[in-house]
Amino acid sequence: MKYNKIVKRNEFFVVLILILFSILIQMKSGQFFTPNNLVDLARSITVPGIMACGLLMVIASGNIDVSFPYTAMLCMFLITDYWSKVQYSGPVIWGFLLAAFLGAVLGFINGILAAWMKLPTLIITLGTCTIYTGFTQGVLKSHVISVLPEPLEQMSKHNLFTVADSASGLSSSMHISIIILLIAIISAHFILKYTMLGRGIYAVGGDPVAAERAGFSVAWIRIFVFTFCGMLGGIAGLTQVTVSGMCQINFFDGYEMTVIAAVVLGGASISGGNGNVFGTMLGVIMMKLIHNNLILLGIPTSWSKFMTGALIIAGVSMTAYKQVVAQKRVNTNILADGEGQ
Amino acid sequence: MNRVKDDNINTFRLVGILIISFAVLALITNGSAIRPGQIRLIAYLFPELGVMALGMMLAMISGGIDLTVVAVADLTGILGCMLLKLIMPENASILVQSLILLITVIITIFLGSLCGAFSGFLISKIGIPAMVATLGASDLYLGLAVGLTNGSSVSNIPPILNAVISHNIFGIVPVTTIIFAICACLVGVLLNKTSLGFKIYMIGSNKTASRFSGIHVDQVTTITYAISGALASISGLLMCGHFNAARADFGKSYLTPTILVCVLAGVNPNGGAGRVIGVVLSVIILQTLSSAFAMFPNISDYFKNLIWGLVLISVMAINVISTRKKNKQI
Repeated sequence: MKYNKIVKRNEFFVVLILILFSILIQMKSGQFFTPNNLVDLARSITVPGIMACGLLMVIASGNIDVSFPYTAMLCMFLITDYWSKVQYSGPVIWGFLLAAFLGAVLGFINGILAAWMKLPTLIITLGTCTIYTGFTQGVLKSHVISVLPEPLEQMSKHNLFTVADSASGLSSSMHISIIILLIAIISAHFILKYTMLGRGIYAVGGDPVAAERAGFSVAWIRIFVFTFCGMLGGIAGLTQVTVSGMCQINFFDGYEMTVIAAVVLGGASISGGNGNVFGTMLGVIMMKLIHNNLILLGIPTSWSKFMTGALIIAGVSMTAYKQVVAQKRVNTNILADGEGQ
Repeated sequence: MNRVKDDNINTFRLVGILIISFAVLALITNGSAIRPGQIRLIAYLFPELGVMALGMMLAMISGGIDLTVVAVADLTGILGCMLLKLIMPENASILVQSLILLITVIITIFLGSLCGAFSGFLISKIGIPAMVATLGASDLYLGLAVGLTNGSSVSNIPPILNAVISHNIFGIVPVTTIIFAICACLVGVLLNKTSLGFKIYMIGSNKTASRFSGIHVDQVTTITYAISGALASISGLLMCGHFNAARADFGKSYLTPTILVCVLAGVNPNGGAGRVIGVVLSVIILQTLSSAFAMFPNISDYFKNLIWGLVLISVMAINVISTRKKNKQI
């Protein structure tokens, strides 16, 4: 019974595919199970991982957000640019708090609009994402900042530990920003699993009308998920600066697709009501693995967008088709019962 | 009866906005915004966006959304140009050239409807919500376009395409406008005079009720998206003719304006309402404004983004407020 339950879960398949994939890479290159490759992988999932935690909540509540990469872009540029102008040299934590606040405000706008208009959230967030992009590029006149302000510069050089691969001589460092990812994962997991709010998010995703009647405030839950997603977006934006050591505006072009793909591959149903942080992180790892190793598999990098699309469709098809089949079964059961009586 | 009245009010409102925006522009620019040359430029440019918006409108009326329009336009534009380059013989007579162009156009439109039908299949048979299915499919098509061209552009297209697209009939009316008019009429007839159109409205207003009244929801959805894809491919060809090249990111900036046109036209994003005349009027309004921005050199393209986004959100807000007011009165 227990065995059956494990096999039926979506995460099981993702883990299976991950293992197969990593063995394939290991066989082709012999470089997968080396300490520095694993550290590099952890480094590359930091930013999408933080964003995915926020997006998971939005998707679990039955909405969708495509504006968070542009929230990240705005926060990232605004803070880095401001700090370089005033030659700021205080503690870096204020930057992250400011990014979190700004992101939360931008997310709050999405949430208010979504809760009040009751129109498809895709169109709303598409509108706000155009506004945020236009604001960053037009009003703020964004440009590449290659010399970071001192606090960010220091943080970008701060590593937890460094591992070296004795065979190839390459070494990689675990960047300090992984701690931010861990905090994001733990807080998202805690909210979704152990608070009334988290239960409410799943309830709204499952059926908003039923959730309203059960006493959840649907409007406030919508506002919360968008605010949370915006907040994590803002933090992820500044994190990206410290990870890559520079501030470039096109970091986040098309990022929404990668993160959406990661969340749905991790087993969250796109119509809402389920999904968990563990599965989402597996999805993020899978997306990054595939992205980073396309060349190893003999696929040129210009096809990476094609792969993202194919993965999204494959991932969503699995869960969606299961629901269609289940619905059909329910319908036939009802018919059969009716005839029986 | 009530719906017809609402539609008429919306149409009048749009005509009003159009006249006001023309008048204001004429005043600001000392009349240079309404010179014949400027108006012909608007008439030449708006069909690219307009044909795409017609497809988006069909998808929205059926209660979904078609985010693939841009990707389909790019992909089929590239495929069409490649095909045209491949089969066009050198030094062919004008008759042979036109014949080959016609064949290419037909094949391109067919490819576009195939792309659309695939999205429709994902939505109806697999049961993926329209927005995610088309979001994924749009990455798929764009990825295919980037992969096929390696991210560079297809150039050296046989000149016949550009010659036809930029031709003015009787020296006044651009061909693109005629193409848009034909598409708009066909979509109008489809929606108002055929049973398929009626079914599209029905599915948009209530999917379950339509299924129980014997409409093949799956089939109608697939056909709707296939038509949307065909329209998108026409728009892709117009773009290629305009730029005299094909590239995977030509249509990139068109997605928000396309949705904006539909929302401005009074198409309900939740499905079930929307008329062709609204789309025609709002696409002209949008192109007029867009061309007007181009006359001021200090308004960059980025500001255009900002303005489109703000307009989209405010139009939706106004629509929501006015509907709620009406519902309260009842």
